[in-house]
Amino acid sequence: MKATDGSVMDFPSTKEEAWRYTPVDEIVARMAAATAAPVPATGTRVTRPVVDALAGDHGGPRLVFVNGVYDADLSDHDNVPPGLWCGLADLSNSRAAANVALAGIDRAVDGFLARNHADGHDSAVVVVDPGVRIDLPVHVVHVSAPDFTGERADSATISHPRTIIDVGSGSRIALIQTYCGRDGRAVTNASTTIRVGRHAEVDHCRVQTESTAATHVGHTRIEQEEGSRLRMISVTIGGDIARNAIDVHLHGPDAQTELVGVNVTTGRQRHDTVVTVDHAASRCASTQRFTGVIDDHGRGSFSGEIIVRPGTVATDAHQSNRNLVLSPNAEADTRPWLQILADDVRCTHGATVGRLDDDALFYLRSRGIPLDEARTMLIGAFIRDVTDAIPHPSLRTHVAAIIAASNGMVATDRMR
Amino acid sequence: MLHIADLRASIAGKTILNGLDLDIAAGEVHAIMGPNGAGKSTLANVLAGRDGYSVSGTATFDGVDLLALTPEDRAAAGLFLAFQHPVEIAGVGNMYFLRSAVNVVRAKRGLPELGAMDFLGAAKEHMALLEMDPAFLSRSVNAGFSGGEKKRNEILQMSMLEPRLAILDETDSGLDIDALRVVAQGVERLRSPERSMLIITHHPRLLDDVRPDYVHVLSGGRIVRSGDHRLAAELEADGYAATLAAVPA
Repeated sequence: MKATDGSVMDFPSTKEEAWRYTPVDEIVARMAAATAAPVPATGTRVTRPVVDALAGDHGGPRLVFVNGVYDADLSDHDNVPPGLWCGLADLSNSRAAANVALAGIDRAVDGFLARNHADGHDSAVVVVDPGVRIDLPVHVVHVSAPDFTGERADSATISHPRTIIDVGSGSRIALIQTYCGRDGRAVTNASTTIRVGRHAEVDHCRVQTESTAATHVGHTRIEQEEGSRLRMISVTIGGDIARNAIDVHLHGPDAQTELVGVNVTTGRQRHDTVVTVDHAASRCASTQRFTGVIDDHGRGSFSGEIIVRPGTVATDAHQSNRNLVLSPNAEADTRPWLQILADDVRCTHGATVGRLDDDALFYLRSRGIPLDEARTMLIGAFIRDVTDAIPHPSLRTHVAAIIAASNGMVATDRMR
Repeated sequence: MLHIADLRASIAGKTILNGLDLDIAAGEVHAIMGPNGAGKSTLANVLAGRDGYSVSGTATFDGVDLLALTPEDRAAAGLFLAFQHPVEIAGVGNMYFLRSAVNVVRAKRGLPELGAMDFLGAAKEHMALLEMDPAFLSRSVNAGFSGGEKKRNEILQMSMLEPRLAILDETDSGLDIDALRVVAQGVERLRSPERSMLIITHHPRLLDDVRPDYVHVLSGGRIVRSGDHRLAAELEADGYAATLAAVPA
């Protein structure tokens, strides 16, 4: 595989710490067997009501990509406020010059990213001028739509969505990224790069609800400058195999990061969350709060890395991973990974794996609440920390409905 | 209404209920007293349907085999257990929980769903009588509640769910005198010719406010003595050991 600098770049090995729980060989085999969607997209049957149902309409500008190809008809561009530019990467557009500036950050560090950069079609670009406050969320939607009718009906469809976001100093923006899809086998190899300028603030929600036959490899790279604040909420529900890697580099001092996430894993799904927060500057604060709900034969894993670079002072870094395992065949793996290379550090980490509380279940049932509903209530309570953190009410409702449907599916499976 | 015959229950091979017989007619209030380990809470749990016990014998509720029903179906049929230790459930709102429960039970009883405003109105009325701050509705179920607040919350649930048979498992335990008065008055208000109660208690003080029609002494997993409310006074005066020693052979 050729990387952007022309060198050959291999897919990672599961011997590498960050890839330990990911079935890399299986993903690579699925990528090799998949075929790229045609450009322009045809026969996808993705209409506006489909996008509304799969991703929701959250009030702000919406960029919609189907199988990695931008769809102007499905996108909402009319309500872009001044100071915000969003669209496709196009170097002829002066606004996209930021893309070039970002190039050094948005580099391929492994074979998946190399393929994303080499084979991707359209890139979504969001640029916020300095000193601008954008209230309505900018929504970037990637829909994977396997082709059931064409000549490629028997092979999975692959796409390489790439998103580049540049937030100018002192600006504030809310972003939503949705990876969703129609039923069927699809492979999504996604890359997102976000630069948060000096004293800028970003609220980022990443929601992955692809079909349960899909394969998803996602990498989000975040670069934070001095005094910037980022809050990211990630929700992983879809995919047969889905990996969600979040890589935060705190470059400037006094930056703050809050990463919150949940995976709802059932059937034979494998959800792999891999987080790195690199404290490369002083007086930065980071928290990682990740939660897993794993049922049936599902397998969820969390690896959270905290790096504190030599020479930094007054670092505050916290990590927690809580898992609710609902079936004897479900599996949760959790692994903190700390590389503290400085002295002036306040660092905590903790992980739990538990079951639903039998006493609480009996209490709810003794009041007349049926078993399935009681379970759903307790699961909802367990992940409320994450769902309540979603700042957009319409997205909160959308995610809650998908999680409830996912739990309902589990209950039905059990009846059989 | 409730008919129990030769009820036996064991847990982890240990026999706790050992041939218990009890009949409660509509509108009657029965108290069960007894020393620690007599099986009082096990009786409450077995009637409400908690897992983990192996149970034999008969327990019917209006002729229906209670032991064959799930806990939620027992609740819908009109059985309510006020827990000795109400469970704290962080993250589940008290109002959401109670309204879900009320409407599930109403639906199963063929009653229309209670709308949000009707529910809130009824809940606030009962809370005022129980001297509960309406803010408790917006908190998580029992989470961070004091002992007295938890017990009031149990009586609130009982008031809203309108059971036909209420089992109160040591509802008086851990309460100070003022809280005991409020809870006892709450229970007494729910007394009606259609509603029966089974009050499990260690201490007879609750029975001063909620005077039972019958008092039973449970020991060794069965009822060894029955009487009217004066039996409670006798137990208070003489203690279990002396009272039980006086049981005719």
